[in-house]
Amino acid sequence: MSKSLVYESGLGSLLAGLSFEKEPQWLADLRAKGNELHNKMGVPTPRNEEWKYTPLRSLASVNWQSGEPGPAVFSQDPTNYAETAIRVFLVNGRFDRNLSEVPATAGLTCMSLRDAIYEKSEVADYLGSVAKIEDHTFAALNSACFVDGLFIHLKAGAMVEPVIEVIHVTSGDEMVIAPRILVVAEENSSAKIIEQYVSDGESKNLTIPVTEVILRKHANVEHVRLQDESETSYNVSLWETLQDESSEYRAYNVAFGAGLGRLDQNIYLNGRNIVTRLDGVVVARGEQILDNHTKLDHAMPDCNSFEIYKQIIDDKATVVFNGKIFVHQDAQKTDAKQTNQALLLSPDATINSKPQLEIFADDVKCTHGATVGQIEDTFRFYMRSRGIPKAEADAILVYAFAAEVLELISDEVVRERLEKRLYKKLGIDFTV
Amino acid sequence: MLEIKNLHAIVAEDDKEILRGINLSVKPGEVHAIMGPNGSGKSTLANILAGREDYEITQGSITYLDEDLADMEPEERAHKGVFLAFQYPVEIPGVSNTYFLRAAVNAKRTANGESEMSSMEFMKFIREKVKLLGLKEDLLTRSVNEGFSGGEKKRNEIFQMAVLEPTLCVLDETDSGLDIDALQTVAAGVNALRSEGRSFVIVTHYQRLLNYIVPDFVHILMDGRIVKSGDKSLALELEEKGYGWLDDLAASK
Repeated sequence: MSKSLVYESGLGSLLAGLSFEKEPQWLADLRAKGNELHNKMGVPTPRNEEWKYTPLRSLASVNWQSGEPGPAVFSQDPTNYAETAIRVFLVNGRFDRNLSEVPATAGLTCMSLRDAIYEKSEVADYLGSVAKIEDHTFAALNSACFVDGLFIHLKAGAMVEPVIEVIHVTSGDEMVIAPRILVVAEENSSAKIIEQYVSDGESKNLTIPVTEVILRKHANVEHVRLQDESETSYNVSLWETLQDESSEYRAYNVAFGAGLGRLDQNIYLNGRNIVTRLDGVVVARGEQILDNHTKLDHAMPDCNSFEIYKQIIDDKATVVFNGKIFVHQDAQKTDAKQTNQALLLSPDATINSKPQLEIFADDVKCTHGATVGQIEDTFRFYMRSRGIPKAEADAILVYAFAAEVLELISDEVVRERLEKRLYKKLGIDFTV
Repeated sequence: MLEIKNLHAIVAEDDKEILRGINLSVKPGEVHAIMGPNGSGKSTLANILAGREDYEITQGSITYLDEDLADMEPEERAHKGVFLAFQYPVEIPGVSNTYFLRAAVNAKRTANGESEMSSMEFMKFIREKVKLLGLKEDLLTRSVNEGFSGGEKKRNEIFQMAVLEPTLCVLDETDSGLDIDALQTVAAGVNALRSEGRSFVIVTHYQRLLNYIVPDFVHILMDGRIVKSGDKSLALELEEKGYGWLDDLAASK
């Protein structure tokens, strides 16, 4: 790779300084592969098409250190983020036994990934089997340097009722935090998961999570990701899901935080009669840059995928949406629908939207629509004529725009929490 | 309550003059009907009263409760009791009527130095209003006007009016597009809200609404001016003769 396609960064030497002793050979191999791939791909410049709108220059210039364990005392109590029975805290990428509460639940394993590597033989088969780290330099970096993470396993037929809440807290400055999440839902199992990424105060870290999800036949999983880190943070994530026949996966990405946030979310529909939702709500303000790349990969016939991305952009913020849908030759009778709507609240706000449909089957229904708009005066005047002040009218209209996606989330506790966070992000008093 | 003196207004976008010297005086408790052909300026007048920014006042004054209305923001007018029932109510997906109205009521209460209504108080309050107007309770949970029929939208305007308890109600062609049943419901709603301290300015093209909401005064607006005023019999005369017989009168003004 020519030098002009990558920035100089200290991440390679950070890797060189790491050593993991007495790990299983398969993991040592994965780390070596990650190390090699990251050194090869480096930190891409905008000349690399996949990173065209994700400026990484400032990220590359930071003198990153490897992630240390979190502090004993937080500046903000992270337990406020959880309210249901099963809650897991990962502090600086490490499973926190003191904060986490995982009551015994039929069919559910929810434990430190580090422990699972030694105690659960199946982890060797699954870890790294979905994430394509050869296409993602930061996922390669994660593979080389992750210390811990989370392993969620649902036994065949397990129906886990309470939401599994996963709170990723990052604390400190200039550290690379690399949580690794592995979710395996065996046949006929079901669960709801919410992952929240938050910062302890104004921490300035680089979070590079890799989340791998496997759904076996007839598994049903709702998976929400809330990225709400401080605006001094970087978050570059890879989230990949493999679905088997007749499974249903509903994924919601809610991106509010990080100064620079980039998510690559890929879902492989690898059997018949699969249902997939891949939705997003993005709110960017100030000088935030939030970039979401999604890919739905239809490999087999008779599958339905729905994607709605709603993006609100204010001040000088930039939002990027790249939505790929691949329909392979065998994937006849595919029904794929993609909608991408952006609401610009300031003349200096930017949206780069790129739907990308590649269809190789002939009997399919694929639609996409992208719109960019502003708050219309007729709406605003209607609300003001009822006495609602202009700023509040705007906030309510913006809220309603985003709420259309949040309303799809089936779990009430999660939905209400996200709605409150949305109010907060938009500066509305949510007691109304 | 409302004094309009020699009001001239233009469309802000193209400077076209729409109102050319309106004079109108409305006292507490009175119902005034403003009638006129298409393009006469009657909807412009209604929208100017509510503060729509598409128009600019070039001459004259609007005084409401001894204050200069023209200087106020739309929300300020609402806080002081002005209400416009829209000809084309706006659909707001994702915002329930209850949420919307509670935000409106509490904004008004805050502006007037009153404490906000709690969620429970407010629910009790609007359920009474639903009952008063004989509406269905599902109206409260539905998104504002989303997917409403023409008649439902107009009924919702009257419902909002009932909840906000305005002093000056301006109805902009509330009868347009309504069948006779919807028209009667809307009229019954308005009549239920008539009171000594509350005045109405009803803008309409047709006389039929005035069979159900009987006005104290009828004004005929043509070419941006009121060319004739009278009592309810003037509306019947218009129904019979159309607007043609007034052309000469309009030209002479």
